Amino acid sequence: MMALIGSVLVLLGAIFHFSAGLGMLRMPDVYTRMQAGTKASTLGNTLVLAGLAIYHPGWSLKLLIIVYFVLMTNPVSSHALARAAHSIRIPMAGDTGIDALRDARQKAGSGT
Amino acid sequence: MIRRLSIIVAIVAFGLVFASLVIGHTEQQSLLPLAESYIRLVPQELGAANVITGILLTYRAFDTLGEVAVLFMVAAGVGLVLGGERPPRSGPLEDRFEGARPPSEIVQTGTQILVPLISIFAAYIIMNGHLTAGGGFQGGAVIASGVLLMLLTYPQYQPNPEFLGVTESVAGALFVLTGIAGLIAAGGFLDNRILPLGQFGAFFSAGTIPILSALLGIKVGCELSVILERFRP
Repeated sequence: MMALIGSVLVLLGAIFHFSAGLGMLRMPDVYTRMQAGTKASTLGNTLVLAGLAIYHPGWSLKLLIIVYFVLMTNPVSSHALARAAHSIRIPMAGDTGIDALRDARQKAGSGT
Repeated sequence: MIRRLSIIVAIVAFGLVFASLVIGHTEQQSLLPLAESYIRLVPQELGAANVITGILLTYRAFDTLGEVAVLFMVAAGVGLVLGGERPPRSGPLEDRFEGARPPSEIVQTGTQILVPLISIFAAYIIMNGHLTAGGGFQGGAVIASGVLLMLLTYPQYQPNPEFLGVTESVAGALFVLTGIAGLIAAGGFLDNRILPLGQFGAFFSAGTIPILSALLGIKVGCELSVILERFRP
């Protein structure tokens, strides 16, 4: 029973990873691709590792540390990349309406 | 159209090449004599659970010493190439980063959480080299990745090059001294049996392998940090 639950969780994680890959291929610009890759792969990783922890309860602590590490690194690095892409003005897809970072910078008066 | 067609042709050609490899591959059923004797001798003679680290730090430790020397040459070469033409570092550090925007708060907070985690992970890899996968080189690279994260987040952060150089030299000298001690007290240069082998699989076991691993980790970490430090603007 535990093996089945673990396997289902791993499969769910694999589905999220697949959707991340699909998003990388199908999304129109850098920012949307980046968010597809980050969100879906973070959740997919967490699910795969949670499934493994149910499958092998002895590994739980180490897997928990890995989940923590991925939860810390993946969003932070994507944030840094997206911010760098924004500051060298990589264009957005045509129908993007709102640019909150640009508005905030203009409000702060930094100019860029 | 032609481009797409040529891509498909290339993929099929690669597929054919690798298919012949896969079909022709048969799993080797028995170990080669050399591998078999290593697998038998390392736990028996050296008391190391990880055969690869056992080989790298005893039978082929002289070769490992050569690899570290190559890394040292690389660090010196990078210093020679990148160090010559930079303007003198007289002005205050902040002036050199005038045009750059500071890293965002999220990155800074993430670094503060991650750098201790990375350091602990590096220590774990280095100190468990004789038990599980890992060892000095890998752990040293992880240390350098922590330093790289610090350099990216805090451009003003400056690791002390004299400290790094002295630490690296001391670690290298101790490595060689341990080897000479093996030459005097045990079977040969870098023989690990000058310390008691201890219980197989325990943390303090396998003679001098954990010590050599730690020295190697410190040395590699310092060398790679020096190389990274050279690439700052």
